[in-house]
Order: sequence, then C-alpha cells, then structure tokens
Amino acid sequence: MITTNLEREMKVNTSRFGEISVEEPLIITLPDGMIGFEDCKRFVVLHQDPKNPLKWFQSLDDGALAFPIINPWDFKKDYSLSISDADADFLHMDEDTPKIVFVVVTVPRNNPAAMTANLLGPIVINPLRKIGKQVVLSDERYTTRHSIMEEIHMRSNR
Amino acid sequence: MLVLTRKPDQSIMVGEDIEITILEVRGEQVRIGIQAPKSVMIHRKEVYEQIEEENRSAIISNPDVLPNLDDLVTKKRAENPV
Repeated sequence: MITTNLEREMKVNTSRFGEISVEEPLIITLPDGMIGFEDCKRFVVLHQDPKNPLKWFQSLDDGALAFPIINPWDFKKDYSLSISDADADFLHMDEDTPKIVFVVVTVPRNNPAAMTANLLGPIVINPLRKIGKQVVLSDERYTTRHSIMEEIHMRSNR
Repeated sequence: MLVLTRKPDQSIMVGEDIEITILEVRGEQVRIGIQAPKSVMIHRKEVYEQIEEENRSAIISNPDVLPNLDDLVTKKRAENPV
C-alpha cells in the first residue's frame, strides 16, 4: 500500500520542546497576535503531560515564546464570557459555532501554587476556521490575576 | 490631539456613525455614553494594558515544565485539611 502524506508540516525550533513539526491543521492563526505580541500570529497547543489541564500556547513564529494556558472551566465552572459582535464577526462565529476558550496563566517559578489566570483576556478560538483572538472583556467580576488554587479550594469547600 | 470642551448632554461625533455623549460630571468622574456600530470595538484602555502586562509576566515567570495541577491541589489539601 502506498501512503502519501499530503498534509503539510511546519518545523519550528522551540526553546522548551526542541524542534517540533506541526501538521498544518493543528495551527491556530491569531490575525492580531497576542496582546503585546502582535507579530506572533501562528500558534499550536502543546502539553507536557496530557493529564495536566495546564498546557502551552506555543508560538510558531518565535520558538522562545510560549504562554501557559488552561481551559477556564477546568477550575472555574461558573466562568462566563460574552463575546462582542465585533469579535464574533472577526472570528466568523455565530451562536451555533463551537468555540474553544483558553485563559493565560502566570506561574511564579518559585511558588507554582500562587499561579493566576487572566480571566479578562481569554483566547477564543473558532476550531472550524482555526482562527483565534485574545479578546478584551469588560466584566467587572473578573481580574487579570485570578488565583487558580484559591478557586479550586473554594469550590471543594462548598 | 484634538481637544474639545463639552458640557453634560453635549456630544461629539466621530465620523458619521460614532457618537460620544458626556452624560454626567461628578467630581473626578465623568460618565460617557458611546453609540457606535457593533463592529467597533470599545474597551477601557487600562484593561487592555493590564492584559498586555499579564501576557508579559506569563512568559517571563513561567517555568520550563508546568506544574501538575492535580498534584498541587492534593498538596494544598494535605496542608489545609477541610
């Protein structure tokens, strides 16, 4: 049997994962980049341990750039976000479009339990089009430094 | 920068379809109403700046290997039993 690999791959040298090759369908494009990193537009989600909800949002344009991310509902079940019409248009989304959401996590190197999540700037992805955007929420319930461990602890104490 | 003086209930038009109205001035606070097409993004500037700052600290502080969240939770529970 002859198998042909028609899917194009992209090879990138990363600081954490060495050289990785990413199949094109796994590449997520953020046309505006991440806020403050507007030049980095292509990303892939990588994990070091598949069971760990913490993952990496690895830039494919800068191998040294990777953001720790988590699905917000993995630690905060009542997280809700309303996506503005402008952002929905940008992402080609309507109410029925599935969406993937990650929030950026800051993990202090010497005290990982003090990790916080940025609930005001979630990365919203339209998996059908493989495009995403770090959106800016105007939601006074949330902050850019929400303690993940406190949230989990509070929930388990209820 | 264009500088204009306005009183409460007075507006400024930006282009043909964006209207900014001063609703109320109370001490240091100004309430502003903005009418704009849904395609125009509006947000408080400091939130945008906070997100940018948080993106930077996320990449500066992060370790090479992410801690396992479950392990941290188990450890924390052991330290603070319910």
